[in-house]
Amino acid sequence: MSDFKVSFRENSTVHIMDLKGYLDAHTTPHLEEAFQKLITEKKYNILVNCKDLSYISSAGLGVFMAFIEDVRMNKGDIKLSNMSPKVFNIFDLLGFPMLYEIFKDESEAVKKFEAKS
Amino acid sequence: MIKRFESPIQPIQGMKIKKILFVTGSAFLFAIVFVIDAILKNIEGGLDGVLYVRILLAAAAFVLLYFYVDMKVKESDRSQVQRIGAVAVWAGILIGAYIIVSILPLNWFESRDLQLYPRDYLTILFSTVLSVVSGLAAIVTLCHVQDMLFYKRTRGTKRNFVLLLIVMFGAAVSTYNLRPLDSSVVTTILFTLSIVLIIINSFRLSWIAYLSRREKIYAMLYALLAFFGFMAINIILSEKSSLAKALLYFNYPLYMFVQLAALFGSVYFGMAFISTLFHLPTAAAFDRKQNEVSSLHNLSRLITQVFDFNDLAKTVTKMTLEVCEASSAWLEVLPADGKLYDHKLDGIISQHNIEPEDVEQILFGGEHTVRSLVLSSKKILLIENVKSDRRTSYMSKVKNVGTLLVVPLISHDELIGILYATKEIDHGFEEDDVNIVSGFADHVTIALENAKLFKKSLEKERLQRELLIAQEMQKRLIPQTLPLFASVDMKAISAPALEVGGDYYDIVMLDDYRIGIVIGDVSGKGVGAAFYMAEVKGIFQSLSKIYSSPKQFLVKANEALISSIDKRSFISLIYAILDTRTGELILSRAGHCPMLYISSDKKEYVKPTGMGLGLRAGTLFEETIEERHIRMKKGDVCVFYTDGVTESRSSAGEEFGYERLLELVSRHRSRTSDEIKEEIIQGVWNYTDEHGYDDDLTVFVLKWQGAA
Repeated sequence: MSDFKVSFRENSTVHIMDLKGYLDAHTTPHLEEAFQKLITEKKYNILVNCKDLSYISSAGLGVFMAFIEDVRMNKGDIKLSNMSPKVFNIFDLLGFPMLYEIFKDESEAVKKFEAKS
Repeated sequence: MIKRFESPIQPIQGMKIKKILFVTGSAFLFAIVFVIDAILKNIEGGLDGVLYVRILLAAAAFVLLYFYVDMKVKESDRSQVQRIGAVAVWAGILIGAYIIVSILPLNWFESRDLQLYPRDYLTILFSTVLSVVSGLAAIVTLCHVQDMLFYKRTRGTKRNFVLLLIVMFGAAVSTYNLRPLDSSVVTTILFTLSIVLIIINSFRLSWIAYLSRREKIYAMLYALLAFFGFMAINIILSEKSSLAKALLYFNYPLYMFVQLAALFGSVYFGMAFISTLFHLPTAAAFDRKQNEVSSLHNLSRLITQVFDFNDLAKTVTKMTLEVCEASSAWLEVLPADGKLYDHKLDGIISQHNIEPEDVEQILFGGEHTVRSLVLSSKKILLIENVKSDRRTSYMSKVKNVGTLLVVPLISHDELIGILYATKEIDHGFEEDDVNIVSGFADHVTIALENAKLFKKSLEKERLQRELLIAQEMQKRLIPQTLPLFASVDMKAISAPALEVGGDYYDIVMLDDYRIGIVIGDVSGKGVGAAFYMAEVKGIFQSLSKIYSSPKQFLVKANEALISSIDKRSFISLIYAILDTRTGELILSRAGHCPMLYISSDKKEYVKPTGMGLGLRAGTLFEETIEERHIRMKKGDVCVFYTDGVTESRSSAGEEFGYERLLELVSRHRSRTSDEIKEEIIQGVWNYTDEHGYDDDLTVFVLKWQGAA
């Protein structure tokens, strides 16, 4: 139940993280490491694909907040896509759509990144 | 020596009375014997019947003396060596008495028909005194020797000794009707048999093995003195000297008994002397073993008794010094998980007989030190000659170290410390020493681990207590009671998942008829969340009275929080103001779960937009906040809650969810707020399995009863 995995993909401009499973207080360190890894590699165009994300807790949401400032200061962004309605609801309740761009589909987000660069 | 246990006063007094009785009793009996002798001197030929009475009286007197001596010997808590000393002293006293008496100008006896006739009363007196002293010395000797024989006794020990006593008494008694200068076959046989038994008993010398080297030397000296003393007594008594005659005149059985006792003394202590002499070369080794055993024993006792890490370390190095007679020793404790100390000598504890500079030089004086060698090999390292060994060439500045022993302390394959011992001379540690110390190291490891674990568990207990205090304090941060209004029926409950949590609800009277209700949830759980929750309480209590609209309140609360909150934490909140006269509810939401509103014609989640507190500052936040107005009708129910309710999971992993909550409340909407609250809690409880409920959970139910 509390299985959580992050995997990385990338195309020319965007670094895509695929989140899978249940993101709660126990599993957030994995996500934190993943962000840290990209940022130390100076990869600031980050797209988080939430297709297989089944749950996110407040601690999980906090991870996004922890890195967004850093990423945007380096002219990058964290965008999210492919959320299930349930996961979107959690993001939405807290007002995350006002802080992050959230896309229905990954390709739209990639386009947005590419358009900018 | 062990301090004697102070027994209560009563028995000691009893003992004293007994002792006095024994001594005075025997003195009285001896006096009677003397008087009889004095009278008999004037009766030609003597009286046979009276002679037996006299022997019996003397025997009874000696029995009383025996009781006295036995009590004294048992009371005194003497070591074996002291016993030999005491016996030697008694032999000396006896010889002294003999010498004094023999230089006195006495007339002694006239002998006729193997019978002795004292020439005067003084002779009778001295014979009596001499006999009493001799008998007393014999008794003291036997009592002490008995104790020595019985040290670590085997099955035969007591039997042999009792047999010897019986035969000795037999030999003595067999002479009861002999004239002083006579002898008999029976007596001779029993005497010979006694000698055989004396020799057999004299092999019981097991106490020697357990003496330290120093004690052995004293034992030898005393045994030699005792041996010569008893030999001298034997010689004096066997020559038919005046002294022997004095005893013979007094009592033939006594003479026999004293002679046998002296013989026993000389054989036993002669054997003791020789045996100790042979034990002497191995005494040092025995001492070492003894030391080792007692050190290990002490250590294993320490393991269970001493939990203070530093105390333990001190004892450990001190014992290392004892165990292998090292000249210096110290212990290095390595930090867990490969961390480093602030200063490289921080791990060195309890140095004995060595300067810190020397320790630093030995441990860190070169690139490849003995320390780094042991760190990588995890094996015992013995440098036999520090001056010439190339592994210790970097240690040239260090004086007074000839041999160096480095022992790793390994627990579960992990190096937890290193024990160091040095000796001033080279080749100072024998193979035996190394074995001892390595065995010792295992115990030390366990002891240190125990001390660590104990400290950890103490720490844990302390934290647990602190948490309980925090829990108590947090309970006081939420309202103990809610204000009562005829128009509103309210009930709330909050339960943290851990000891403390981040859920919060509160209520405040804004004026006589308006109440402010807040419910919130700090991201995360536990102590961190609890701190923010306390901060929110402070903010709510102060700002709610100043800002009369929910939106204004949230904006100001966000301003207050944003500067102090960690960037990955945030707080979700709903703030509602209820007019208790009209039932008008104004609410704003900051990222919190929407309010459930159940009316006769409407069932909905009221979800004005609004971002969580602590995410964005200033207008960015303000712009997102909406305000909603609801005019409640009689019987309408509002439920505020935290995500602990909707996100609780069933064993299948499915969430309780919004639908289920809405359905549950609308089903029970006609009931009281308390009942509705209970239904929600029960519903969530029944829905989840034991692991499903792992978040803080808060429910606030408000029911409008209609304007009063």
